[in-house]
Amino acid sequence: MVNLIHAELRKLLGLPTAWVGLVLGLIAAPALALLSAGATRQAIERGIAGDPSDTAFQPLGIGLLGALILGVVAVSSEYTSSGEDAPGARQMTTTLAAMPRRYRLVGAKAVAVSLLVAVQGAITAVATLALTEMVLGPLVPPAEPGRAAAAVLYWVLLGLLAYALTLIFRSGVITLTVLIVNSSVVSVSYLLTKVTPLAAYLPDIVGAHMFLNDVGDVDIAPLTAGLVMTAWVAALLGLGAWLFDRREA
Amino acid sequence: MITIDGVTRVRGRTTILHEVSFTALPGRVTGFLGPNGAGKTSTLRVLLGLDRPQAGRALIDGQRYAGLDRPLTVVGALLDGSGAHRARTARAHLRWVATSNGIPRGRVDEVLEVVGLTADAGKRAGRFSLGMSRRLGLAAAMLGDPPVLILDEPVNGLDPAGIRWMRTFLRERAGQGRTVLLSSHLMGELAETADDVVIIDQGRVVTSGTLAEVVGDHPTLEDAFLARTASKGAAW
Repeated sequence: MVNLIHAELRKLLGLPTAWVGLVLGLIAAPALALLSAGATRQAIERGIAGDPSDTAFQPLGIGLLGALILGVVAVSSEYTSSGEDAPGARQMTTTLAAMPRRYRLVGAKAVAVSLLVAVQGAITAVATLALTEMVLGPLVPPAEPGRAAAAVLYWVLLGLLAYALTLIFRSGVITLTVLIVNSSVVSVSYLLTKVTPLAAYLPDIVGAHMFLNDVGDVDIAPLTAGLVMTAWVAALLGLGAWLFDRREA
Repeated sequence: MITIDGVTRVRGRTTILHEVSFTALPGRVTGFLGPNGAGKTSTLRVLLGLDRPQAGRALIDGQRYAGLDRPLTVVGALLDGSGAHRARTARAHLRWVATSNGIPRGRVDEVLEVVGLTADAGKRAGRFSLGMSRRLGLAAAMLGDPPVLILDEPVNGLDPAGIRWMRTFLRERAGQGRTVLLSSHLMGELAETADDVVIIDQGRVVTSGTLAEVVGDHPTLEDAFLARTASKGAAW
């Protein structure tokens, strides 16, 4: 199993797209923290900023784009055509020849994605929180390490969610469209919370409660949010692995 | 040794393999011959555990492919294309494949040398010509120094020098006592390379035996093939 995880890490780190995800994830949150510093300072001084302890953590939400990309390319790269000469040929054939036990393969990929996202998330969280402290100083309370850890865990779970969805759809485009449109352009999940508070427990929005106090109109305890998010990811990953095992390669 | 035993595979409503059975023995090149769409690739995919049969078994030294521990040290397979992600260099591709099966890193440069890709090892697989892609696929198949080789249309797209190189390469491997199974629709090529021949047509094995047995009274393997397969050139 160690060999498989090692091989999957090597595969991911050898892909230009994965590096786009890694770099994007690393710079987006600190950049947003810097850019929005002025506006945030004004909002706090006027007393319209909401929970001030959320301020430092708010930018971490955008950096998870990198985690999504990593989760997606771990699967979608397997289905990319090898070249013009052999349009039907894909890396997946090589992968399955080398690692024919499919549940193990799904597990090894999940560990590889988790490790990369965790390292990326930890660096980003520390950088973003340190920057916020530098820029806003005494305006925000010092960041709690527990919340930072929860934010990193949230990133890992979202990376795994993207991975599981791509296993199910077998298409990176569908997964990224669903997750990005839903998190940035129009959040269908958020609109649904206006209809029923239960929608706050949908996988793409429940996780934010793990490290932010002020999310939407519904209050969910961090531990509850973490457990619900983990259950979603486990269920979707289980479904993805089951479909992957049954389908033709 | 490869044993295909009563393999039946249904795809949608079509039965693409009807109780296909044959063996490929160590020390011999076994040619798996049939027109396009006869079921050659489907059989090899079942053998490699990529697709599942509805009935029958496909075994390598008595084991299913998926049951093999570090499968690349037992079986080397060459299917369509290079099997590499287009953005990856040849060397990076071979490295992760080696890592996955606990094969020492040093083997990567050895197999690149064997297939003559040392100079192109830093090139991305997406920029490879058809011949180079086949060589890269073959290099991956050789990484684990496997006693069994399974190749789907290995000479497709190769130039005459490449075809001769591949023929010599496969004959040498069989000479070392390895089991070599290759599929082809090129009669002349197979008659030069194979010791044993299995002919498949419309998903059924129509004949198998040594090259001499299969050719029988016909002047060439091609005549024997056309006499036994439904196509018989009638469509022309």
